[in-house]
Amino acid sequence: MTEVSIEKLTKDYGQGPAVNSISIRIAEGEFISLLGPSGCGKTTTLKMIAGFEDATEGAIRFDGRDVVHVPVEKRDIGMVFQNYALFPHMTVEKNLAFGLEMRKTPKDEIRTRIARVLDMVQLTGYSERYPRQLSGGQQQRVALARALVIEPKILLLDEPLANLDAKLREEMRVFIRDLQRRVGITTVYVTHDQAEAMTMSDRVVVMFGGRIAQIGTPSDIYERPANLEVAEFVGQVNIVRGKVGNRIVSTAFGDIPVSGDHAAGTELMLALRPEAVELLPVSSGADGVPAKVLSSYYSGSLVDYRLELAGGATVSVQTFPRTRFADGDQVLVHAPADRFWPLGSAA
Amino acid sequence: MNVPAKKRFGPLLLIAPAALLIGVFLVLPYLNIVLMSFRMPGQGTPYGPGFTFGNYGKFFSDFFYISQVINTLWIGFLTTFICLVLGYPVAWQLARGASAFRAVGYALVLSPLLVGIVIRSYGWTILLGNNGIINRTLTGWGIIDGPLPLMYNALGIIIALVHVFLPFMILPIMSAIQGIDPSLEAAARSLGASKVTSFRRITLPLSLPGIQAGCILVFVLSLSAYVTPSLIGGLRVKTMAVTVVDALIDTFQWPFGSALALMLSVTGAIIVVIFGRLTVMKWKA
Ligand SMILES: Nc1ncnc2c1ncn2[C@@H]1O[C@H](COP(=O)(O)OP(=O)(O)OP(=O)(O)O)[C@@H](O)[C@H]1O
Ligand SMILES: [Mg+2]
Repeated sequence: MTEVSIEKLTKDYGQGPAVNSISIRIAEGEFISLLGPSGCGKTTTLKMIAGFEDATEGAIRFDGRDVVHVPVEKRDIGMVFQNYALFPHMTVEKNLAFGLEMRKTPKDEIRTRIARVLDMVQLTGYSERYPRQLSGGQQQRVALARALVIEPKILLLDEPLANLDAKLREEMRVFIRDLQRRVGITTVYVTHDQAEAMTMSDRVVVMFGGRIAQIGTPSDIYERPANLEVAEFVGQVNIVRGKVGNRIVSTAFGDIPVSGDHAAGTELMLALRPEAVELLPVSSGADGVPAKVLSSYYSGSLVDYRLELAGGATVSVQTFPRTRFADGDQVLVHAPADRFWPLGSAA
Repeated sequence: MNVPAKKRFGPLLLIAPAALLIGVFLVLPYLNIVLMSFRMPGQGTPYGPGFTFGNYGKFFSDFFYISQVINTLWIGFLTTFICLVLGYPVAWQLARGASAFRAVGYALVLSPLLVGIVIRSYGWTILLGNNGIINRTLTGWGIIDGPLPLMYNALGIIIALVHVFLPFMILPIMSAIQGIDPSLEAAARSLGASKVTSFRRITLPLSLPGIQAGCILVFVLSLSAYVTPSLIGGLRVKTMAVTVVDALIDTFQWPFGSALALMLSVTGAIIVVIFGRLTVMKWKA
């Protein structure tokens, strides 16, 4: 198993840096996701780790050894491409054998390893098929098997599920994650789908414009986002503004205690996730802010409400559909003080 | 079941224009040539009354004609092979090279096609002739004593044919390489293949459809080429196409000329079919 360390890595294609001085330490066997909007430099970072692009500056170390000048074929990586990149003129078996042949693995060992990896991706019996004779999900698993059968130091995946339909995508998430845990291989996974990054990763690296905005566990990223951009990228969020007082912020939801240094009198933004909020009927007489239901969307397991607070601000709330409110209903909104997260001063 | 007439004839109506085109421009002329090749030779007329196998008998009994088919095939093989060897690297550069080269390279590859084939072949006679530029320069520099035999032989014909047909090799190969997803080469590299190995195991086999198309095009065009061989080969080396035209125009033997033309077409077709069988790609749908 391999520890990967990226230090001040920069890539400039000639029009300003596409990746700007990023540093990540990836532990042995860790599953790390690079998450960010289109064009933020995820693929570029992955290509530099793989060796397809030269770094303009910075270091990439596998177990302490700088690999920046090591060519792709000597880096001992396994890579899964968005379009799978299976060799169309080779059968599944030949595709899987390719990397082993390059490593001069003996013939009978190639055969046993292919059998083992096919079993692992549940494709035993498909070895004589050509890629065009497989479904998208099966091709995906062959691509995964081809990257894993060489037992590489690290596994790199670039949006491997982007071409699958929603249901298959969710199945494959679990499949890849389980497989990665079993094999214990250090993995870097590129995606712009926050749900994918959250469910699969040990840690998520959120990138914007070539820079790292935050590195943390999925719950760090979701519950304690580093800034407004991160908070908005990893899910729905209500931004609640308030005046800073003595260790509190006065908001439409009342006074919220905050830790940390925030100059009194300034305006602060707080993040409040829609599912952190509770809706109660006015008749309950419970502790809450009065609000009016503007609209609601039912999606089976959940209901999304848009509400207008007494002060005129709107909030999104997501609840279980146990008690339903109709548009125009008056409700009480209860948001626990510990579910607010400070994002920084409002501009 | 009773299918309404409209439904039954609808598809036929749709393919009718194409069928008519192929029929009028491809099948009918061919049938006419086949028919002609069985006619009696005429006296002072293109053909006489009645039918005969004699034209084919004449072909098979005179080794001169058979050897000429063989020569023509050899010229075709060599032209095709040389075009492939010279054309593939150019095609690769056009498909995968630096973008600055691609625009210029594409124009250069196409430029010979802008000049008529007669002009191009005359150009080669100026270069290759005994009193041509190459021989005069070499003699002038004292490198050779007498002129090198560059014209009026198979070598000259092949040189000129390669020049004339090179674009027909380059273009299909280029488009085949352009159709190969570059991430396949990247995948091969990630699996431990060097650039050379990745070319040999991935790019080359996947460009086979282009190679196949280019080879068939150049081979068929070389077999049927008339202008270039007649100008460069002169009276000394004749390809089958030249002999066919001689028979038709000089000696006015339409039936025999047709038989000769058909023998060349049939041999060429057999070779193309065998080539297609040998290079069949199982992985393609
Ligand atoms: N070969 C290249 N030459 C010039 N600029 C490039 C090249 N590849 C990428 N870029 C630029 O670098 C930036 C980062 O691109 P990159 O492909 O890493 O984005 P990404 O995060 O993978 O986006 P996506 O989610 O759309 O795949 C983009 O602005 C892109 O235009
Ligand atoms: Mg990308």
